[in-house]
Parts: sequence; structure tokens; C-alpha cells
Amino acid sequence: MSVTRLLLQSRALPLPPLARPAIIVVALLYFAAIAAISVWAARRTHSARDFFVAGNGIGLWALALSAMAATTSGFAFIGGPGLVYASGLGALFLILPAGITNAMGAWVLAKRMRLLAEVRGVLTVPDAVGARYRSRLAQGLAGVAILIATIGYMATNILALGLVIDSVFATGITIGIWLGMAIVLAYSASGGMIAGIYTDMVEGSLKALASALVFVFTLKSGGGMSGLSRSVLAADPAWLGPWGRMAPLAALSLFLVFGLGSLGQPHVIHKFYMIRDPRRLRWYPLLMTCALILSLLLYFGVGFAVKALVSRGDLAPLARPDEATPTFLLHYTPVLLSALVFSGVAAAIMSTMNSFMNIGAAVVTHDLPVALGRRMRNELRWGRISTVIISVAAALVAQHSGAVVVLLGIFGWGLFASTLVPSLAIGLNWPGATRAGAVASIATGLALTLVLETAAFLHRMTLPSGVTVSGLALVSSLLVFFVVSWVTRAGAAETIDPDIRLVMDA
Amino acid sequence: MGRLRAETNLTVASPSRARRVAVGAMFSSTLAIAAAYGSAFLSGGSPAWATWLFVGGTACLMVGAMVLGAARPGRRLGPVLLAFAFIWIVIVGGFSVVLLLPATDSAVSALWLGLPPRAAVIVYGIGLLPVLVLPLAYALTFDSLTLSEADLERVRAASRSGGPS
Repeated sequence: MSVTRLLLQSRALPLPPLARPAIIVVALLYFAAIAAISVWAARRTHSARDFFVAGNGIGLWALALSAMAATTSGFAFIGGPGLVYASGLGALFLILPAGITNAMGAWVLAKRMRLLAEVRGVLTVPDAVGARYRSRLAQGLAGVAILIATIGYMATNILALGLVIDSVFATGITIGIWLGMAIVLAYSASGGMIAGIYTDMVEGSLKALASALVFVFTLKSGGGMSGLSRSVLAADPAWLGPWGRMAPLAALSLFLVFGLGSLGQPHVIHKFYMIRDPRRLRWYPLLMTCALILSLLLYFGVGFAVKALVSRGDLAPLARPDEATPTFLLHYTPVLLSALVFSGVAAAIMSTMNSFMNIGAAVVTHDLPVALGRRMRNELRWGRISTVIISVAAALVAQHSGAVVVLLGIFGWGLFASTLVPSLAIGLNWPGATRAGAVASIATGLALTLVLETAAFLHRMTLPSGVTVSGLALVSSLLVFFVVSWVTRAGAAETIDPDIRLVMDA
Repeated sequence: MGRLRAETNLTVASPSRARRVAVGAMFSSTLAIAAAYGSAFLSGGSPAWATWLFVGGTACLMVGAMVLGAARPGRRLGPVLLAFAFIWIVIVGGFSVVLLLPATDSAVSALWLGLPPRAAVIVYGIGLLPVLVLPLAYALTFDSLTLSEADLERVRAASRSGGPS
């Protein structure tokens, strides 16, 4: 069972037609709300600080809901349930660490990143890497890794949004791609992160509500959890085994990469800079975890219910796993709820795209120039221009090269994890980490992910069952980070500026 | 900057043993996971011990990261260590139960909260139990361990006097 192949199916093939009056009306209402927020946010965006970190002025609810919205892309609503349907309980290992990751992120990163914004006025995630090690090279390498993964994420999400728009409005995929990109670009380029955060709040609330309601219908459709289990166990007991159809090592590898790897996801941790009062972080893990669990109920519930309904003969076997959500919604939920969910899918994709547009633009406008020793004069204007250029580039890739989209899409999570977990998450907490360790570790994560994923994609290399490139790259970059830091530990303390040391020890 | 430097020296006067232990545990855990991955390249595929090594390594790596993040020089971790120990037990204990229970799931098996026993341990145990503990542990120890009003004011004062270097 290739998880990667299943993950990517949701980004490559059309969804079933969903054009129903209620679905179209709700989608239009949703886009109108987004437009209103964009206009409001654009009027409040006056500086690069407003554009990239929402003026460090958001509240706790905005932080938690927008972080949740950015975490769960459209995959949680379409590809994820399809993956559960196809590979059973093993697919749950992608989301299984969700009960741990937010508290872990709070202890490891939230306070220290927010205090970094306090003492240094940092704007981007690579800024934090550069400040920690007093190294433009480390900042530049982190920026390059983020930019590559960002374009990949954006291309896959733009394609997914194009598919959803085509499915709801029957526009055709090409028009869907450009229309979707234009909508997100309009609010991202004008209102920057202020628009992003508040649209994410709406999107996050919509996702959580829709997911919880659909979960109730999944239980109802199958006679409760016991009824669902009995139906599946009668036909395919291995599906409900602890690893589903995966090898144990493959499932555990997902747990590791999506657990520890969450500490390196810039579209989420970047938001720690933005909270107005750092002491409000106290309740962040609780709010974020509850919102995330609610929004993931659909992921498990729909995949499980459709498998049970197919097992007992109430539904025909699906032609493609990605049809699980549309099929369940159109057969077993009221049309208004279907409309809410499909708007939620669009919302999920748009919120993830917005976050990536912003951090990608920040790399181009801020991190790479800083790494090269040249800071741009008007970062706000160039931030807007970069947002447009990156978005158009990603849309062109999405429209013209399915193969490139697939390849870029593979890089995302694992590239972030292998380059940022050691250097940033551990480095911000361990004074023994050195500049050489950070640079070597980022370079290792970057090189291994790009080379091995490309080789695997081109069928030049096959890894043994259970071994994933993202897991290998994460473990390798961690080992390189520890070993090189220990070897070069003489003088490690001198490379930390006093204000950074204060943040690390606070 | 002088005041900032002096304050920093005061702050770090007592190096944190918890940090050293956490980093050591994380390094050892990473080696264990690397060994588990490495064993998969052997002819005949990964042996059974590789799964156990991977489980132990992942639990120690994630809990080690939390200890590292929570540790502050000169302060004891106190009751939050219980929360971390609980999570380690949930991960290691949960996967151990799953690995040790016989694979006898069928349409007439007993169900735990609607799921076969091994699936229930995964979903309710490893998936949901941490939700009841970690976010509350973070909130309840926030003032004493993470960021008090005084801590924040100290950073702000140092920032005002020193500024970015």
C-alpha cells in the first residue's frame, strides 16, 4: 500500500459533480464573507509587521482557530477519509499525535518564539533561526527549504481548490484553478496576515462545526460505533487491526513524522509571533487541541462509515477512495450540511494556501535578502508583489504539470520537519546547539528529502516496507545536528547573543 | 547591553540538568529509531524488535522534546513531570498492549467503546487520553513553569535596556 500514492490521488483527479442550488448558494455566501473580511483587513495593513505577523496583535481565539485552520488542509476532508477507507486504521496514524502535538509545540516553541518577537522584532521563521545562531547562512538555508516546500504545498492546494470549484460550479479545472487562486490572492496580497488570520478564524470555525455535525451522521448511518465495527469486522477484520493495511513500521513512521514533525511546520509556528499578550498562551494548547480534534472527526468518521456501508452492501464499492466524502454527504446528510462541508473543504484549502503565500512571500522579500546581506527598503510593497509572483508561479505549475505538482507535493511536511525541527525547535531550547550543527542539519534535511523523494518518484530507488523518506530525513538531520553540535561545542555559548540567551532561559 | 548581559549571567548561573538529560534521551532515541529503520534494509525485512525499538524511541523523543521545552535553568519541573511520565506510559504502554494482544478480531469479538480492543487502545488510549492531560498540565503550570508576569516583565525590561544586538 503506497500512502504517498493515496495522498496524492486527491490532488490529481476530478471530484464528482456537486452542483446543487444549496451548495452553490452557501459557497457564494462564504466567498462574500471572505471578501468583506479582506476589505476590512486591507484597510488595517500599513506596514510589513502588519502584513507578515498581523501587527503582533491577535487574540487567543484567533491564534488557536487560525493555527488549526492552517494545519488541516482540504486533505483532512477529502483525501484523509479516502485514505482511511482504503487503508484502514493505519491511516489514523497521521492524525493520532494530535492530542500531543499542540501542548508539545507550546512547551517547545510558543513562548520562546513570542519572546523572540518581543526582543528582536522578528517577522519570519528563518529570522528565528538566523537570530538563534547569529548566522545568515542558517537563515538563508532555512528560507530555501521553506520556499521549496511552500511552492509545492501551494501548487497542490491550488489544484485541489480548482477541483472543488469545478465540482461545485462546473467551471472546468483550469478556470477553477485561476478563479480559486485569484480569490485567495485578493485577500492575501491586500490584507496580508491580518486578512489571513481572520478569514482563518471563519474557516476554522466552519470546518470544526461541519466536521462535528458530519460525525454525528456517520454514527447514525451505521448504528453507532459498535454497528460500524461489526459491519467491517464481518467483511474485513484486518481493516480494523491496529495498523490497518500498513506495516507496523510504516504506521509508526507516520506517528513520528506527524508528531515530532509538527514542531517544524512554519505555517503554524509562525503564528506564535502574532499573539498580542504572550501570557494568553496559557490556554492555547487546550483550545487548539479541542478545535483540531473536532475538525478531524470527519477524517475518521467518514472513512469508517463508508467502509462499513460498503461492507454491508448499502453502498457500492468506491471507484476511487477520494469519493468517500462526496458519496457519504450526498447519500446520508441533509443538503445544507453537504453545502457547509464543501464550503469547509474550500475554506480548508484557502486557509492553508493563504498561510503559505504569506510565508513564501516573506522568504523572498525578507529572508533571502537578509541572508545575502541586503535588506529591502519597502518590505510591505515587495511582500505584496512577491505574493502575486509566487501564487501565479504555483498556479502555472498546477495547471501545466501534474507530474511536477505530485513531486513538489511530496516534499512538504517532511522537508519542513527535517530542516526546522532540529535547528529551530531543539536549537531554541538547547544552548549546546551550534551554528555548524544547525547548518549541517538543515543541509542534510534539504538534500536527503530532495534527492531521495525525487529518486523514489522517478522509480530509481525503492525503500523497504515501512521506511519513508520523510522519516529517514528527519532522523538523519537530528543525528547530524546532535553530532556536529557536540563536535563543535567549544565556544557554543559565545555564538548566542545575550538577548537570545535570555529568551532561551526565560 | 551591559545590564542585559549581567541579567543573562544571573539567569543561567545554574545549568539545567533536565535539559542535559532531555538532550541525551533525544539523541539515544534518535539512534534507536535509526537502528529500527536500518533493520528494515536487512534481507527478510525488519525483525520484531525493530517495532519495539521504534515505539520506545518515538515515545522518548517526543517526551524528551517536551521536557527540553519545559525545563528552565534553576527551576524544578515539579508536577509537570508526572504529566510527561503519563504520556510516555500511554505511548509505550498503549503500543505494547497492541503488540502483545492476540490478533483475534472478528464479527463476534468483544468491543471496547464500540471498537475491537486493539483499535480501541489506539484510538481512545494513544489518540485521546493525552488530550485530557497535556493541555491542562500546560495551563495549570503556566505561571510557575512557563511564563509569569514577572518573567515577561524581566524580558521586556532587558529588551528595553539592551535592545537587539
